[in-house]
Amino acid sequence: MSGEQVLLRSPLLYRLVREPSGALAIEVVVGGIAMSTVRVRLDESEAAAYAREGQAFTDRLAQAIMANPPFGGRSVDVP
Amino acid sequence: MKTNFLLSILCALALSGCATTRPAPATTPTPVVERCDATQAQISQQADQQASPWSIEQHLARNFPDRKVSWLMKESAYQSFVVETNARNFGRCNDTGCYLFAAPTPVIQGAVQASMSEGKHDPAALGKALGLPAKNFEGPLRMMTLELDAAGVCVRLPVESDPGVWKCSTPEDTDCFKFGGYTSGGVPEVMVLNAPVAQAQVEQVP
Repeated sequence: MSGEQVLLRSPLLYRLVREPSGALAIEVVVGGIAMSTVRVRLDESEAAAYAREGQAFTDRLAQAIMANPPFGGRSVDVP
Repeated sequence: MKTNFLLSILCALALSGCATTRPAPATTPTPVVERCDATQAQISQQADQQASPWSIEQHLARNFPDRKVSWLMKESAYQSFVVETNARNFGRCNDTGCYLFAAPTPVIQGAVQASMSEGKHDPAALGKALGLPAKNFEGPLRMMTLELDAAGVCVRLPVESDPGVWKCSTPEDTDCFKFGGYTSGGVPEVMVLNAPVAQAQVEQVP
């Protein structure tokens, strides 16, 4: 998306971005033989966890999204 | 004397015939586990034990006879995570390697070709052919192909602890992981370690 800043790009195939609104979102590559990307906006507690732990938290969050891409209905497909 | 002469000619012909028609000895590829580091070799051996009497070698022989694998990525994912990062290897990388799920090339290429209509792929047809939701294939795609032996990569049966595994929660789930070398949609799959970008053939799928 335009106007957003990439804060972190991981070889685990995810990236963390700051949206123009200031919110944080994570884009994660999901799938096996056919890979696509989903995007999840971090809630307040997740943003706070990232502020505390940095990449250790986003690694865990990305792995949780890979293991369950709908992520409780919070993820949206990246075109 | 005459009999001996005829016999010698027959023997010579027979020997000559055998020499010219005998098939060349088949070259047996090196077991793929020998290309794995200690960590991946151990995972592979455990996976083979779990799948016994099935194994990665039997899986490759039956489902990957040309020893070629392919996989698909949405164009946006390819650009963001391969091109923009100048990735050396495909897949999800951590400190133990880069992990990539891949399927037999004829299966992927055949599904893509069969889904093409008026110069574009049909996500619904491709999803149906590969047993995955159509939404996974919407928009332009990239199709990658890798020759396993030329690349010399480690290949094994995928396991539940592999990065990227989506664990199935219901029997109806169609794009989650089931152990045994097949996707939940029934497509053969393997785990490829450290698949080099430089050795993969990359094609656009409009």
